This record gives sequence, structure tokens and C-alpha cells, in this order.
Amino acid sequence: MISLKHVTKSYYLGDDEVKAVRDISLTIKEKEFIGILGSSGSGKSTLMHIIGLLETPTSGKVLLEGKDVSKLSDNELSRTRNRTVGFVFQSFNLINRFTVLENVLLPINYSKERPIHDPVAKAEELLKRFGIYERRNFFPNKISGGQQQRVAIARALIMSPKIILADEPTGNLDSVTGDEIIKILSSLNKDFGVTVILVTHEHDIAAKTKRQIYIKDGEVVEKYL
Amino acid sequence: MRRNSIIHLAKAALADFSRNKVRTALTSLGIMIGVLSVVLLIALGLGLKNYIEGQFESMGANLIMILPGSGFTGEGGGGFGGQGTVGGVSFDERDVASLMRVSELDYVVPIFMKGTSIEAGAEKKFGYLMGMNEEGFKLMNVEAEFGELFGKSDVTSGSKIGVLGNVIAGKLFGTAGDAIGRTVRFESQRFKVIGVAEKKGDNEADNAFFVPYKTTFGSINPDKKFWGIYLGVKSDDMVADAKKKAEEALLKRYDKDDFAVTEQSELLNSINQIFGIINAVLIAIGSISLVVGGIGIMNIMYATVTERTKEVGIRRAVGATEKDILLQFLTESLILSLFGGLLGLILASVIVLIVRIFFPASINLFSVVITLLISSGIGIFFGVFPARRAAKLPPIEAIRYE
Repeated sequence: MISLKHVTKSYYLGDDEVKAVRDISLTIKEKEFIGILGSSGSGKSTLMHIIGLLETPTSGKVLLEGKDVSKLSDNELSRTRNRTVGFVFQSFNLINRFTVLENVLLPINYSKERPIHDPVAKAEELLKRFGIYERRNFFPNKISGGQQQRVAIARALIMSPKIILADEPTGNLDSVTGDEIIKILSSLNKDFGVTVILVTHEHDIAAKTKRQIYIKDGEVVEKYL
Repeated sequence: MRRNSIIHLAKAALADFSRNKVRTALTSLGIMIGVLSVVLLIALGLGLKNYIEGQFESMGANLIMILPGSGFTGEGGGGFGGQGTVGGVSFDERDVASLMRVSELDYVVPIFMKGTSIEAGAEKKFGYLMGMNEEGFKLMNVEAEFGELFGKSDVTSGSKIGVLGNVIAGKLFGTAGDAIGRTVRFESQRFKVIGVAEKKGDNEADNAFFVPYKTTFGSINPDKKFWGIYLGVKSDDMVADAKKKAEEALLKRYDKDDFAVTEQSELLNSINQIFGIINAVLIAIGSISLVVGGIGIMNIMYATVTERTKEVGIRRAVGATEKDILLQFLTESLILSLFGGLLGLILASVIVLIVRIFFPASINLFSVVITLLISSGIGIFFGVFPARRAAKLPPIEAIRYE
């Protein structure tokens, strides 16, 4: 489904070149539930952004369903993100001036074709599934962190993407709520066949995925130390 | 673009405005004041033009004016109420006679005009003595409200009679109607008032004392000269011919530069031209406030973009293209400036409605359309820079922005 071939991403801090990702090659198959594990500054977030088409690699190739997406224009990258990838962030990243329902519907506004017959019905169904339907007309800053993260998951699912990218989804939550979020992500993979990529620095969270990749200093390593 | 995306854009903009009511109102205020001043200036310019055209139209159509010097358009032309002639030549009865031979003319009116005091009993008021023939009433569209106008025989005999303008008649005799049969004095000559004209709304006509021109020959007008000669042409299509023949007739006696033959339409054209320029200058001055308003919008939009950097990142992550973000912020600045423009237009309409009581100011469709176009243009022009900044934000940096 996703293949990275010799992907490198470097930044310039002043005159110094910083390599956040060094020559990483990996393949994630369809319907996988995979954990990307690394400490902060390991390059795992940059790797996630490259997989999620938010950034393009400095060199190397990214293949999405066999198609090279590393040289796509900004326009095409946006369209592909809209259709294929759903993001779940550590800080939820909901828009506070829109209601819960409007937040879930946000990606619909950027879809050029009509993806689903009745987006509102679908959004409401997702909210019901995650037990926050009663909160649909609330603003995000009026609901709890766990509820906000469920809204974010519903938003990630509204376009029925093939991939869910979760970047430290439990980082701002207590362990009980965090476990619930991981359970939801796990069931998306198990029950609906969505490829879920979970980026985290916590071993016990990563342990709940079916396969783990360890990142250190921008490279894939055998074992996380 | 899909319909529900447009609804989303407008809804997003409105949601933000209702959250920042004071800021929105203040930002629109700049555009409102700009639009208000431009629309009012156009309205007043139009009013001034209407007023002057009205004054000319009251003098009848198909009119040719013969004035000394270069006429109205140059230095030599005196205003109404001038003391005789300024530069050029003075016309006399011989000129009138030769002009009367031009077959295209309906009437020829020599005018002698003098501004001075007119007395009746103990009252003494400033007025204009207008020496002319009986056709002069036709020329100026003057009708008698009381009594009668003088006729051809009164002109040839130089009768010491006259017709008073409505306003001065009232000033001299209390009520205009009381003037009939009474005597007025003008430079120690006595005239009998045989009529009072209807009110014209024109300062000179309402304060005039119309007398047969021959009556002025003597102590008032010892040289038997005229200030100007007005020609009424039989019909529209003869105006050009009549003008040419009148010129030829006068060239037998005078040099080309000594007199000017002007059609009323030419005069109106040059007046319209002058007002066109004055109007353009006024609008240009008014537009400065529109530009200031536009800069206000730009300022606020830059602040909005910074405030919503994270939101831009979120939208980019879920699939918004640079164009989508650009459109979002452009919609906002467009709505802001259109809102201000509409408010300005409404306020200007109210003011014009009030001003109309005194002055024929008017708002035409042109100024409405141009105002809405200009305010949306300003919204887009000054919105583009902040919107571009938002669109060009790298998604990752934007989404991390706190």
C-alpha cells in the first residue's frame, strides 16, 4: 500500500544541514496496524508527515498504491490527502469556532467529487458510534479531551480513507481515556480494514499494534533501546 | 466549486465576524466612510449639473448667443448683470437689423443690462434693468402673473413702461400684485409698471425690471449699445446654418475676435466638461478614504491570518489546497468590504434624500453599481496579500503554530 524507497528529508538550520530522516526504506501493507516507535527528535514525526503527504522527501521515492507521490504538485498532494489519509493528532487540532458536527464535516468541503450521498447522516453515524452524538452541537473547547479525540477520529473517517495516521493520539490524555482511543483505532483496523499507522514514543502503546518499526536518529533500527 | 463549499466559505466568514463584532464593525467603517464620501460627491456633482442645466433649459431651446469678445468661453464674456461690455465691441441697432435678415431666425433679442438700484416710494432695492424687445419674454420663458407684458408697439415707441420680476415687485410694493399701475424710479427716470412676471426661481429674472430697449436710449444708455444679442432659431436642424449666417452678417462690420457666436448646446457642453473635471477631482479626493479603508481591511486580514495559522494547517491537513485557503480569506475580505460599501450606500441615500429638499442632488444607478464594484474590488485587492500569505503557509509549520 505504502512504500518508502531510500527516503531522506533534510532541513537547513542556518547553514547546517539537519537530516531528520536518513535513507529510510519500508513498506506498509494494506490493512496493517503498525506502530512507529521513537523518542522525541528521532525523526518519527517527519516520517509520519512524509507518509501522510504533508511533506515531500528531499530525496527518495514514496509510492502510494504503486504510484509515485513524491513529485506531486501541492494541489495533487492536497487532493490525495483528502481522499486517502485521515489524521489524528496529539493536540486534537479541532477548529474551536465550529461545532463538533461541523468539524467532522470539514474534509467534505475540500472534496471535489461527491464522496458520500449524505455527509451529515454519515457524520452523525460516526458520532453515535463513538458515543458523542449528544455533543454534536457543542464547541470543541466545551468537551473533554477524550471526547475531542473521538471527534478528531470521526473527522479522519468521514471521507472513508484507506489510511489513518495517528501522531501520539494519547499524548494529551490520561491512561484510561488513552486506552479507549487505542481500542477505537484497533477496532477500525480489525472491523473495517483501515490501515492504521500509530506513531508514539510509548512502548506499551506501540505494543498494542501488530507490527512495530523503531526509529532512531532518522533511521530504522532493529530494536528500540 | 461545489455549492456546499461556497456555503461553507460564507458560513466560516460570518462565524468569524459574529465572534469579532467590534472588529468587524470598525473594519467596515473605513470602507463605509470612503463609499459614503464618494457617493455623496457624485450625488452633489450631479445635483450641481442638474441645477445648471435647469437654468439653461428655462431659457428655451435652439438658442444662439452673440456676445462681445470671445463670449462665455473666454476672458471677454461678462456675466449677467455686467455693466455694458467688457472687451470686444458693443452691438447696436444696425447689428440687430442685419441679423433680422437671417431667414432661419424666429426672433432676435438685443439685450441691454444694468445692475443698479430701483426705487418705488421710499423703498430702494437692488435689481437688474433689462432693456430688450417684446420677444425677450419668449426667450426667457417669462409670463405675466399680474397685468400684462409689453408689446412690439411699446418697443418701437420707447414707452416708459416695464414689467417687474416677481421677487423685486414683492420687495418694493409688499405684495407683487400691488405693483400694477404704480411707478418705479430708475436713475431719476420714472417708469409705469404694467405687469409682474411669474416667479422663475432665478435670481436675475426675479429681480429684473424688463423695459423696452428703446426706452433706455438716453441718459441710461447714451451710446445706444447692447450687451449681447440672443437669437431664437426656427428649428433644431437650422441652428448650424443660422449660426453661420449670423457670423457672416457680423463679419461685415467687425473682426473675427471682436465677437463670439455661441450655441446654447455648445455652452452646455463646455459647462458639462468643466463639471466633469470638477467631479473627477472630487471623486479622486474621496477615493483616498476608500484606499485608507482598504488598507484597514488588509491590516485586519493580516491579523486574522496570523490568528488562524493553526486553522489553516488543520484545513491543509484534511485536504484544502492553497487555492481553497486563498478563497477562504478572500471571501472574508470581500464580505467585509461589501458590507461596508452597502452601509455607506444606504447612509449616502438617506443623506441625499434629506439634501434633495434644498438641492437637486441625486444617486443614479451608475454610482450604485460603481460603488459596489469598487468596494468589492478593494476587498479583493487588499485581501489578496494576506490571503496569499495564508495560502503559502507550509502545512506542517501552520499546524504546529500555537
